[in-house]
Amino acid sequence: MALAAGVIGELLITAGVVLGLFVVYSLWWTNVVADRVAAKKGDRVRDHWAHDDTPGRDFDAKDGIGFLHVPAMGRKFQVLIVKGTDAEELNKGVAGYYTKPVKAALPWAGHGNFTLAAHRDGHGAKFHKLNRLDKGDVAVVETKDEWYVYKVFNTLPQTSKYNVGAIEAIPKGSGRTKAGRYLTLTTCTPVYTSRYRLIVWAELIRTEKVDPERTLPPELR
Amino acid sequence: MYGWIWRHLPGNAWVRAAISLVLVLAVVYVLFQYIFPWAEPLLPFGDVTVDNNGGASR
Repeated sequence: MALAAGVIGELLITAGVVLGLFVVYSLWWTNVVADRVAAKKGDRVRDHWAHDDTPGRDFDAKDGIGFLHVPAMGRKFQVLIVKGTDAEELNKGVAGYYTKPVKAALPWAGHGNFTLAAHRDGHGAKFHKLNRLDKGDVAVVETKDEWYVYKVFNTLPQTSKYNVGAIEAIPKGSGRTKAGRYLTLTTCTPVYTSRYRLIVWAELIRTEKVDPERTLPPELR
Repeated sequence: MYGWIWRHLPGNAWVRAAISLVLVLAVVYVLFQYIFPWAEPLLPFGDVTVDNNGGASR
């Protein structure tokens, strides 16, 4: 009897330790792994850009189409943008553009919504601070030869995970009713859960050609 | 349970402690490398997209 109680006690303690380790894994180790993969992929994209003289957009590059810069999430904040929002992609510490349920319009499209998702916690936690964005904040998409400067015009701090309208070409609930060149960022909220979604809407205010030195646009300096 | 393992390890206390440490590290490695990555998608902590069929895409 005492022996059985001892074994059960040890098993319970073990379960507690394993759960604790799972938290360490989720919030720390997945970031370590994802940041490593993302850095490697990002370097490969920049390397590719540096060695590819053919003009034009590089949206077939399998490593990514460019980078998202958001000064409100950190002065040096940048995240690689890849195609697709499947866990397999997002777990690499990148932001993915939607291919379903509503296909994203790429930044150079005449009009449409460039919709991105990234992890709030774990796996790089690239959008951990997405809640810091407010009206007037700037987000810049960097591609091989163009800077796309967006300005946040509305946010939705908490919405249903089924709110697909938020990523439509003219995002529902954003306040905009005409076609435009929009950028929509989505992640989960509150932190450490996936109960709701946090949405940030921005619109293109200008574009700038990338110069040979890749000088940052004034918004990022 | 742990007492039983301890009693069945060979060597003196130092050797047993060293073997125990290796065993613990091996368990942590298996957890981080295989068990946790497998268990993670089963838990609803990583969904960041809006979707009309929820859960299918994470």
